[in-house]
Amino acid sequence: MDPFLADLELTIARWHGVDAPNEPGRRMAADLVNTIAAFEALRGTLKFEDEPASFETALLETREMP
Amino acid sequence: MVALADLTLVEAAEAVRNGDATSVELLTSCWERMEAVNPTVNATIWVDRLGAERAARAADASRDTNEWCGPLHGVPLAHKDMYYQAGKPCTCGSRLRKDFVPDYTASVIERLSTAGAYTFAGLNMAEFAQNPTGHNREFGDCHNPWNPPYITGGSSSGSGAAVAARFVYAALGSDTGGSIRLPASACGVTGLKPTQTRVSRYGAMPLSFTLDNVGPLTRTARDCARVMSLIAGRDPKDPTSAHLPVPDYEGALDGDVRGMRIGIPTNYFFDNADPAVTAAIEQAVEVLVARGATVTRLPLPVMDAVSGYGSIISRVEAATIHGEWMRHRSQDYAQHLSGRMYPGYAIPGPYYVESLSRRGPVLRAFADTVFAQVDVLATPTIRTALPTLAETDIDNGPPGTEVTFLAVSANTRPFNYLGLPAISIPCGFDGNGLPIGLQLAGRPFVEARLMRIADAYQRDTDWHARRPPLVDAPDNPGLLLA
Repeated sequence: MDPFLADLELTIARWHGVDAPNEPGRRMAADLVNTIAAFEALRGTLKFEDEPASFETALLETREMP
Repeated sequence: MVALADLTLVEAAEAVRNGDATSVELLTSCWERMEAVNPTVNATIWVDRLGAERAARAADASRDTNEWCGPLHGVPLAHKDMYYQAGKPCTCGSRLRKDFVPDYTASVIERLSTAGAYTFAGLNMAEFAQNPTGHNREFGDCHNPWNPPYITGGSSSGSGAAVAARFVYAALGSDTGGSIRLPASACGVTGLKPTQTRVSRYGAMPLSFTLDNVGPLTRTARDCARVMSLIAGRDPKDPTSAHLPVPDYEGALDGDVRGMRIGIPTNYFFDNADPAVTAAIEQAVEVLVARGATVTRLPLPVMDAVSGYGSIISRVEAATIHGEWMRHRSQDYAQHLSGRMYPGYAIPGPYYVESLSRRGPVLRAFADTVFAQVDVLATPTIRTALPTLAETDIDNGPPGTEVTFLAVSANTRPFNYLGLPAISIPCGFDGNGLPIGLQLAGRPFVEARLMRIADAYQRDTDWHARRPPLVDAPDNPGLLLA
């Protein structure tokens, strides 16, 4: 088995008590390498915000003002 | 002569109000149509004939005494089977909730009921609203009324199929990654995902607390406006719902799109698009240009961030919500569903928090750039030719089937992460006779504008008025309105 996937399965079982349900699940878990790559590519591109209501604020601020 | 089941939602409501039809007659017509077409499309999970007949008779009795409930008085409806109604089944399309009967009612159902509507069926859906195709292992796949081997789109599969097959005037769906717009597109009806927070989610099965939306699937933009006018607005039971006042959606449908700036993206949304789909979108925009709109082609910013962050939130939240069942009853899910949720447990907490915390900045970056140049974006709802159920069947298909499966929702997911409103309206057919959807998206809370453009388009075209061939089978006339 791919070491990345084997490690994932072990981690998920240990942290969540969930076993791989089937082969599609394993394939989609293995695809997390692309998720990691996407996150790596985004690093440093946006300012981090820690205000928890920031999205709701952004919704209101970017709406069309009368 | 028009069969009562073929009326639009607004026409059906007016027919009752004007005395041209009774609620019992509307229900009978919808029921007969359902019995004729449902063996082919499989759009329902449960039906409640006795309860609906009682409601119809009560609506007619109160009409006779001039006691009007509201703008949907006596209109039979049916919804995706994930809206809680006290004392009625709510399977969520699943084996795990097959016997679930909630003891309270969703706010949107209560609002429609207050307006005079009643429910006669629970509509088929993807299991726990988690696929974009309409596959359902427990209750059977939902089939496209235009060409049954093809997908209906999901997850509000039965809502799209039932409205298209003319046995439900309007249906609620839910949209976490495209689940209203995809079946609207694939089945040739109108579907609106409102701005995040615009419509209460109280009493709706959660898939992803952050990205879930409630909205209508209807035959016309005007019907969509009617439903939105009833369900939108602040709900004290859903503290995430917006405090903003609800505009007069139906009053905004004046056909005037002069000066409206329509943007066609030059990146992402047309990547590897089917030529027939691209041509249909271009032709649809030309219809709006003929009414006075203008067109700008523009690159969209931050799409990598939208895609990257957007892929995280619903997977983690769904995995969390389903944790207990995934630990102990994972074999009671369809393979594609448990398989999709499984990776959610491996996504680190910091990725999830990063995705949440950057949602606001990403929205600002997107909106400030895009909506300074255009008023709405026009894209395909589904950029590929519509696939068949077999081509997207992860449970029984070869490895790699998930690529085709996930491609279906590529154009709808971005607007969930951004929280923007988006509508899908029919704008043509592909080579297999399947509908093509035009997706229009705009700033937060511009649902009225989207429906006005959609209505203007529907004044000049008849894609929305076309009916699947099975509706016109000779033994399926339904009750007629003189």
